[in-house]
Amino acid sequence: MLGKIKTITVREYKATVKTKTFLISMIIVPIFMFAGLIVMKLFGDSVDTTDKNISVIDRSGIVAESLVRIAEERNKDEVYETKDNGELKKIKPKYIFNIIAPDDENPDKQRYQLSEKVRNKEIFSFVEIGKNVLHPKNASSDESDFSNVIRYYAEGAALDDIRIWVGNPLNNEIRKLRMKEAGIDPGQVTELMQWVTVNGMGLYSVDPYTGEYIEAKESSEGEAIFAPLIMMMIMFILSLLGAQPLLNSTMEEKSQKISEVILGSCSTFDFMMGKILGGVGASLSAALVYVGGGVIALKYMDRSDLIPLDLIPWFFAYATLLITMMGAIMAALGSTCSTAKEAQSLAFPGMLPMIIPMAIWIMIVREPMSNFSTIASLIPPLTPMLMLLRQSTPYHIPAWQTWTGLFGVIIFTLFTVWASARIFRIGILSSGKAPKIGTIIKWVFRND
Amino acid sequence: MENTIEIKNVTKKFGDFTAVNDLTLNVPKGSIYGFIGPNGSGKTTTLRMLMNIIYQDSGDIHIFGEKYKQSFKDRIGYLPEERGLYKSMKVRELLHFFGKLKNGKNILAEADKWLKKLDLYNWRDEKVETLSKGMGQKIQFIASVVTSPELIILDEPFSGLDPVNRDVMKDAVLELKESGTTVIFSTHDMDIAEKMCDYVFMIYKGKKVLDGTLDSIKNNYGTDIIKIMSEGGLQVLKEVQNEIKGIENINDFGHIQEIRIEKTCNPQNILRSLIEKTAVSRFEISQPSLHDIFVRIAKPVVENDGEVKNAG
Repeated sequence: MLGKIKTITVREYKATVKTKTFLISMIIVPIFMFAGLIVMKLFGDSVDTTDKNISVIDRSGIVAESLVRIAEERNKDEVYETKDNGELKKIKPKYIFNIIAPDDENPDKQRYQLSEKVRNKEIFSFVEIGKNVLHPKNASSDESDFSNVIRYYAEGAALDDIRIWVGNPLNNEIRKLRMKEAGIDPGQVTELMQWVTVNGMGLYSVDPYTGEYIEAKESSEGEAIFAPLIMMMIMFILSLLGAQPLLNSTMEEKSQKISEVILGSCSTFDFMMGKILGGVGASLSAALVYVGGGVIALKYMDRSDLIPLDLIPWFFAYATLLITMMGAIMAALGSTCSTAKEAQSLAFPGMLPMIIPMAIWIMIVREPMSNFSTIASLIPPLTPMLMLLRQSTPYHIPAWQTWTGLFGVIIFTLFTVWASARIFRIGILSSGKAPKIGTIIKWVFRND
Repeated sequence: MENTIEIKNVTKKFGDFTAVNDLTLNVPKGSIYGFIGPNGSGKTTTLRMLMNIIYQDSGDIHIFGEKYKQSFKDRIGYLPEERGLYKSMKVRELLHFFGKLKNGKNILAEADKWLKKLDLYNWRDEKVETLSKGMGQKIQFIASVVTSPELIILDEPFSGLDPVNRDVMKDAVLELKESGTTVIFSTHDMDIAEKMCDYVFMIYKGKKVLDGTLDSIKNNYGTDIIKIMSEGGLQVLKEVQNEIKGIENINDFGHIQEIRIEKTCNPQNILRSLIEKTAVSRFEISQPSLHDIFVRIAKPVVENDGEVKNAG
């Protein structure tokens, strides 16, 4: 039996790795990955240096001039960089604030007119300073009363750097004014007002061999978001390379009647397992290239500290289980189809264990210890991608969760293989139109 | 006589449709057993059950004197009705793959031997997709015999082959029999079945309707066929049919006509009547051919919804 599985595995493996898709993926995917990182690095600091004209409606009448003044100082100090040859290079846009008189009779009309100016690119954005920003308590409790806030209007306000920048000088000015009112000389409290940066750090650890303390590393955005994403993306690509092709290859073997010839030599289980293991083998070959290539590249770049050595065994364990699970699902679904169109229609539901993690990964990365993240990562079909994602974040995931997740995936993978074998056994010899999902599920539990 | 296959009261249903109904059949070792029957009668289902690709609902199948074991697949060569080859593989690579699946020994040497025998040796390193349909069929046949199995099951091995390749395939099958292999094949070609098979089994609407040696089957049907060649041809024969009772059927082939007579009908009366009307150059009383028997059974006018008399 094992010999037959091996024979089918070897054929499936060779057939998969010889396909153009696989070969291209082996070359293109790392190129895209590294090119993406290089592009991000190259253009990460690149900004639009076009000057930004911003209108200011100051209903308080006390802070706008200060904003204009601080902006002018910024424009003078921060916008240009002196190159080695002495030339000035513009590295940031100028913020040019233009104070306009508030229309108290019809404020909405004024806001609309300014919005139209933004749309027509006459100005970049406008700021509206509420009349009660100095004394927010004077504002009514009515939710529609915005007199104690500063509102920033722009086409992309949420991600706009100006919105973030504006808050600082305005708040400083407001605080100074409040201190003046309280009889405190702002000049004397400069140190009190000094902003202290909070650096995001990882955690200290102890070297198990020397007992020395290992200093915590500064945690970067890249480490917190991109490292987990890369791990998950590699796993997604591996599934696409090894498991997804089983849908079409099984369908083709069925429609071209190759399956019946093979079933004349082995059982349906041998046939299916051989195919799955061939897919797993192809995926793991790609994984070795990707991971090995990544490790070599990081060592070459003298960034061995970025290699998540502790995660690599987990990565291979989860990748093997995910591809086995996905391969079984794809082979079973492929066995029920006779045409490429039918196979295509089943591809989406079959790929849900890969698609769902891709849809929710950002929530998991932001809050890897939340209940949602914990529960989602313990749902067996989602565990390989989501648990690994959580483990790739700087947070420490409790051991019971990782081991429970792994155990759950093993059990679920075995169940998937068993259920798929039952579907495969009926599907591979069936003819006519592809059955509905409900019928396929019935095949799993059919008593025969 | 030792049997390679013993099928006892086997029934297979697909939903409400009974594909094979209470079938009992013994295939003697070293024989060529022909499976005949109209399309959809249950031949392929029976062959698939023999290969354990599908399972019977009831009844027993014994192969090589034992209940079916998975390992028996290594001792049985199988050529399915619809050919299935990996198009992107090379011929020898493909034969090696199928041979390995049956745990074969000296696969490549055997493959080369058969490739030479079937005149495909020069194509051994070509991809399957470059082969013609007939070549593909021969490759599929080699795949089924490359491990020298004790039993070979061929589902319509001669369909789609030109006369030259049919002869090549026929010789190959006879050679297997000579070497002691038990061969089962299904066919729609009654001429081939009649000439090659030691035993013929016919299944119709899932039921066995014929089973035995060709002679025993024909003896059951008696000598009720008369082949006639005359100047008057069909026209005169129709006149004779009106005069003499007991001529059941006239089958016109243009130059020659075949009539089937009832047991009570005397052929001499027919001859006398013919001679009075025209010059007769041939008047041959014979047993029905397998083709005749097949058509008699499988014609849609069969009474009682397929409940035909078992000649075997």
